[in-house]
Amino acid sequence: MAPQNKPNKNPKKEDKKEAKGVTPSPPAAPAGISPNQELQQLYTTQFNAEVDVARLTRLLTAMETGEITEELLEVCPELVEVQQKNQKLKFRKTILERSVKTQEDENAKKGIKTAADGPSKGAPDAKKSKEESKGGKEEQKGGKGEKKEGDNNKNNKTPSAPPKAKKHDYVVVKDFAGSIMGRLAHVFKKAIKEAFPTVSVPLVLAEATNPKFGDYQCNSAMGISAALKAQGTAKRPAEVAADIVAKLPVCPLISKTEIPPAGFINVFLNEEFIAKQCGEISRHGVRLPTIESRRVIVDFSSPNIAKEMHVGHLRSTIIGDAISRLFEAIGFDVLRLNHIGDWGTQFGMLIAHLFDRFPNFQKETPAIGDLQSFYKESKKRFDEDAEFKKRAYECVVKLQSSQPEFIKAWNDICDVSRKSNNEVYDKLDIKLNERGESYYHNRMEAIVEELKTRSFLREEEGRHLMFPTGCDIPLTVVKSDGGFTYDTSDLAALKNRLFEENGDWLIYVVDAGQSLHFETIFSAGRDLGWYDEAVKRVEHVGFGLVLGEDKKKFKTRSGETVRLKDLLDEGVRRSEEKLKEKCRDRDMSEAELTAARDAVAYGGIKYADLSHTRTQDYIFSYDRMLDDKGNTAVYLLYAYARIRSIVRQSGVSQEEMDKYAASNELLPLGHPKEVKLAKQVLKLSDVILQVVDTLMLHTLCDYLYNLSTTFTEFYSECYVVEKLEGTSKVNMNRLLLAHVTANTMETALNILGIKPVPKM
Amino acid sequence: MFVFRRTHSPAFDSRIPGQGSLIWNVSFGMIYVSIGMIYSIFPCRCMMVESDLRWLGLSDSKVAETIKNKSLTEQLVSIVKLAKQQLASVGQKLDVFPKGSLLYNVGSKTKAQCAHHLPTVVQLIVEDKIKTDIQATAAVSYILAHAMKDLNRTELEKECGVGIIVTPAEIEETVKCIIGTYKEKLIIERYQFPVGKILGDARAKLKWADGKYLATEVEIQLRNLLGVKTEDDLKPKSKVKGDQKQGEKKKADEVVEETEGPSTMEELIKSRARLHKVGENYTSDGYVVTPNTERLLKEHVVRTGGQVRTRFPPEPNGLLHIGHAKAININFAYAKAYNGVCNLRFDDTNPEKEEKKFFDGIEQMVRWLGYTPAKITYSSDNFDQLYKWAIELIEKGLAFVCHQTVEEMRGQDQKASPWRDRPVHESLRIFQDMKNGKLEEGDATLRLKLTLEEGKMDPVAYRIKYCHHERSHDNWCIYPTYDYTHCLCDSIEDITHSLCTKEFQSRRSSYYWLCNALDVYCPVQWEYGRLNVNYTVVSKRKILKLITSKIVRDWDDPRLFTLAALRRRGIPSEALNSFVARLGLTGSQMVIDPHLLDASVREYLNVHSPRTMAVLDPISVVITNYSSLGMASSISIPDFPSVPSSTVHDISFGSTIYIEREDYQSGTPSKEFRRLAMGQSVGLKHIGLVLEMEKEIVSDDGSVISIEVKAYKVTGENKPAAFIHWVANPIPVQVRLYERLFHHKNPEDTEEVPGGFLSDCNENSLTILHRVFVDKYMSTIKVWDRFQFERIGFFSVDPDTTREKIVFNRTLLLKEDSTKK
Repeated sequence: MAPQNKPNKNPKKEDKKEAKGVTPSPPAAPAGISPNQELQQLYTTQFNAEVDVARLTRLLTAMETGEITEELLEVCPELVEVQQKNQKLKFRKTILERSVKTQEDENAKKGIKTAADGPSKGAPDAKKSKEESKGGKEEQKGGKGEKKEGDNNKNNKTPSAPPKAKKHDYVVVKDFAGSIMGRLAHVFKKAIKEAFPTVSVPLVLAEATNPKFGDYQCNSAMGISAALKAQGTAKRPAEVAADIVAKLPVCPLISKTEIPPAGFINVFLNEEFIAKQCGEISRHGVRLPTIESRRVIVDFSSPNIAKEMHVGHLRSTIIGDAISRLFEAIGFDVLRLNHIGDWGTQFGMLIAHLFDRFPNFQKETPAIGDLQSFYKESKKRFDEDAEFKKRAYECVVKLQSSQPEFIKAWNDICDVSRKSNNEVYDKLDIKLNERGESYYHNRMEAIVEELKTRSFLREEEGRHLMFPTGCDIPLTVVKSDGGFTYDTSDLAALKNRLFEENGDWLIYVVDAGQSLHFETIFSAGRDLGWYDEAVKRVEHVGFGLVLGEDKKKFKTRSGETVRLKDLLDEGVRRSEEKLKEKCRDRDMSEAELTAARDAVAYGGIKYADLSHTRTQDYIFSYDRMLDDKGNTAVYLLYAYARIRSIVRQSGVSQEEMDKYAASNELLPLGHPKEVKLAKQVLKLSDVILQVVDTLMLHTLCDYLYNLSTTFTEFYSECYVVEKLEGTSKVNMNRLLLAHVTANTMETALNILGIKPVPKM
Repeated sequence: MFVFRRTHSPAFDSRIPGQGSLIWNVSFGMIYVSIGMIYSIFPCRCMMVESDLRWLGLSDSKVAETIKNKSLTEQLVSIVKLAKQQLASVGQKLDVFPKGSLLYNVGSKTKAQCAHHLPTVVQLIVEDKIKTDIQATAAVSYILAHAMKDLNRTELEKECGVGIIVTPAEIEETVKCIIGTYKEKLIIERYQFPVGKILGDARAKLKWADGKYLATEVEIQLRNLLGVKTEDDLKPKSKVKGDQKQGEKKKADEVVEETEGPSTMEELIKSRARLHKVGENYTSDGYVVTPNTERLLKEHVVRTGGQVRTRFPPEPNGLLHIGHAKAININFAYAKAYNGVCNLRFDDTNPEKEEKKFFDGIEQMVRWLGYTPAKITYSSDNFDQLYKWAIELIEKGLAFVCHQTVEEMRGQDQKASPWRDRPVHESLRIFQDMKNGKLEEGDATLRLKLTLEEGKMDPVAYRIKYCHHERSHDNWCIYPTYDYTHCLCDSIEDITHSLCTKEFQSRRSSYYWLCNALDVYCPVQWEYGRLNVNYTVVSKRKILKLITSKIVRDWDDPRLFTLAALRRRGIPSEALNSFVARLGLTGSQMVIDPHLLDASVREYLNVHSPRTMAVLDPISVVITNYSSLGMASSISIPDFPSVPSSTVHDISFGSTIYIEREDYQSGTPSKEFRRLAMGQSVGLKHIGLVLEMEKEIVSDDGSVISIEVKAYKVTGENKPAAFIHWVANPIPVQVRLYERLFHHKNPEDTEEVPGGFLSDCNENSLTILHRVFVDKYMSTIKVWDRFQFERIGFFSVDPDTTREKIVFNRTLLLKEDSTKK
């Protein structure tokens, strides 16, 4: 409709303009018409123009006031489109709001905390619906995933998760080391407690987003003000903030505080303190906070015998190793356990098949070769051949009654698996103590006895079930055929780790799909009085899936699961390709090249995993992980090698540096970028404290990335070596700062299990 | 194959939900697979098939023809196998089976759902217990009726008259007896007497008599009675009938309708439709029987009380058009014919296009056609249930969430969805996300795992639409599709006969599949041919385009073929109904020219619309000798001049009257012109006057303003060549004349109309006459009143009519305009 109107009206407008112009008579008027007629025409033209003006004025007003009239829609077809879009979005918002509400209500009913309640680790978790985490299990049977097939049907009923354990502070800090946040939190908590003993509001402390507001902000005043109001005392946030500041103990960290009217407390750090801390690091090396030591048992990797490790095991292995390294770095007593699936009915089948294939195996070690196809062969027979099946069951019985011949067969089979798994572990530089399910065989019987005598078991249809508090799904402790399940072995393992191993912290690095299973096991443990969760940290550290670049389950082109070995080899191949592409092979010896290649390949794979939020799925991409830009291992390794090379090329010896450090208690900091870099270096302690609490390693990765970008900023503005008219001057403080940065990076990379190489 | 279909075998674990229904679905596919193997992989098998068919005694051409029908061939091959086995068991081996035609008959008539009873029937044939086609047919119907039950062989034998032998003597005697009863009539009507009647009577008495023999006997006995056919007897029957018809036509119109066949859909259905009985769904073609069918049908019969239940299910996203008139008639009339009920169900699953006015408009039109819905239901009422079922389908692995775009799903060689085999829990989760608004529109759909007849894969069941729904408001942002909703709503409403147009035949398998996948009652879908009309467009989108392009005024512009438009044009619903009924119940698509509808309407209006006189283009005529005529100022004229007892209306008469400008010719009239001109008189209708020209009064610009005449009473001598209509005391009204909107038969066909349908519009399809004169008595008429303007056509009062201004629409010309064909 609009286009029809427009051509009619625009010319009229033109007419009007011309009528007002220099020539008084409209040229459109044909010659020979009477003045009267001409006047009439002018009137008409004017009238039309006025109508047009009125219309345009209306449109303009409508536009200005934002009123969407039909007239306006007619002239602006895009507006119609946008309006429709807007309507759709509004509608979607309504739907989403309701969904959130429904979910919250449901969660409340089941006692699950929402994202807002548990800031430290709840946030990424809450996003994942239960189904999603269940997905992890079925889709990629990583770690223990594949052992739990029996439970799938039960889980399909969308049971409610057992209430999550209340958050306890397991981390007792003895020395904050370089930590800024930790110290600040410490003094602010103290100040608040003194100023407002009646109020208990969590401390809100954050890094300032704008240098104007200082370095950190304490935002607790508003919450306290609200809490006071609830108690009947009216106090404005700014007053509260002032009271807190008044109680603030003397702290070498803080140079000054400011309180804007809204009630924030802006904290400005004392540069002297920073310089002092840096000086200390330059003399004594990187210091991590000291935390009251614990005995920690980390259960990770946990593949199954007879099935090769595949991509599903990757995350458990990498994350578990990094967590173990972290604990080791802060001086914990760590036991790394590989809870491999080496016990179960499938062994009957494998042993029976072994007897048939290698009748001579007692004398010479059977050349099983590819265990995977050996497994498939026997599975096929097991499914198709009833007689074989019967024999397989007999073998299970004989194995479980420890008949030597069968134990030998079992060992032979396990060895094959072990050998191939160890190859992977060696490549990734991962140490593990194998303690498979078989280890718990006798302990399981004891557990069943214990549960029976303590009347924790209920019999249903021949099964013996335990119903832990707050859990919908019972544990099947004894199956109807008298056999044990993963529930039984995990209970036995739990008890073993608590009592025999005396673990303080038990960490299970298993895919997120198992969360329900572990919550149930843990709940059972608490019901049995095995541990007090306020004292012992028993935690399932879940993680998301590895996806291909098509955002679907990561698979080979032919659609099969990717074998971990192949994945690593491909990484190495590509890494070498990349290094050669950059002609790095010319500058490095073969040994250096190999070291760089492996560091890049394995580091890349590990870092890609660790740098993603653990609880979420991540997309596996060689191209992305080998990219030398962005938050990748390659970038970090280059950055690290560069800093090392800067220091190397300055020509200053280690002795000279040490001497300089010893003579400067405070590492001199002048340039703002120097200060910024120094602060970033010190933050490592904060990050470590945080990661020990959350076991979210991507925080450490983010820290590393920020550190290296901060260094780049520093280096582009601050010369370490100044060359002036042929002479070169070394700025020792900066050289030391660079050195300290490299050491800090090295420490962090080591915790992540990434081997830094001095040359790349 | 048949054994497989029936599977009650324990091989299929009944504990796994959904597995049962899957198997039923697969069995259809099995037929094709096995046939495919016969032809492609094992050419030698093909030879075997041919030899099997020949064994039945089929000719080569028949064999070739039969092989084209894969499912029939498969059925026949299995029958031959059965027969051969049975022969072998009694030690017989035949090169050609003598009664192959019986087996062929059985093979072609037996429906898949009772094929498992075939061995018994074949055995009866092999054992020579079933001897005739009649018996074989009876056997086939018996096993169909017992599709879900065990077969009682004794009863079957009884049902098909095994052992009953009708002797020639019996036949002769019976025929003789029947002919005797009709003897008198026969002698008069001779060979015009319907032979079928005699045969029918004979069949009633001798159920198992051989058909051919019976017919021959009747023929012989008739010849004995009447002698050889004379020339008169050979004359085509219809001519005699036609004469009769003409004669009767004048008596009463009902007679005419009767001889032309059923005039209402109800009658048509009673006489023609052969659909299943309530609860006997399994007897219909292609119905899929599952282990639950029997129970579900029983429950269904309990719920419905055995009453027929149909539905008319329009989408409320546009107005109904003439095609829907057929759908409405068939659904409502079917229910009416069998004392059932018919629901009006709004299939409101696409809120983007639905508007309140469409709901109202549709209901109004259904009522206008004279039908009252038993219930008005809405698909959206079932959204909760449909959602639950969707979850169930996902859980059973029969539906999955897909991320293909619409473009990827369209087209001929669409790729299978890469998400087809994603894990159940993943589909469940994403489906819930879809429902919770977590995904963008178009990012995901829920698709059913099945392949439709024409190879279309995995129809979509749910899609995301961030759109407010007229009835479910903002409860949902996922909406089910037609494919998914339709059959399930039918099931929920316990529809006995789901009647729909032929295009949906290809959805029949998905219809049955879905109901069976969910183990719910499965109605039977029956298809009939769609009704299309030439020279128009009916698609909602195109009509909307016409409206926005200001070519037509609205959905009910009388040039359109929406029902609202037809009503506004003045088409009576009764005429529309009988028109649709006369088109019959065939399965083929029907494209009719508008003039066919016009003829039907004309016939109706001729009888039902009162006559009146109106002058479309008036010119005044002054009767100079008016006072000497002594005429009354008002006269009564009949509404239906041909009906003696007709009602009447009063019109005025006076010295000035108005006649059509074209009923006068200035100057010397042309030879063919028979009306008013200088020297040529003309009669006035109804009043018995003849006008004689005196002079014409001409304006400045030369046009005739009025005419002065003298009037005389009509006598035997001055009888004029023509009588014209006139108005004396007029009120001006507006008349809208409509013509065909499109020039071409298929305005949508880009070959016929390369410029698109908008370019094909007749710019002069609407003429508005602002100064039409009718007699003042008409000032009290009401909207929708219909008249026949004498000598002009049929008109109806438009709803635009106000107290100040009456508006008429021209419904039709009196006769078809021969210039427009």
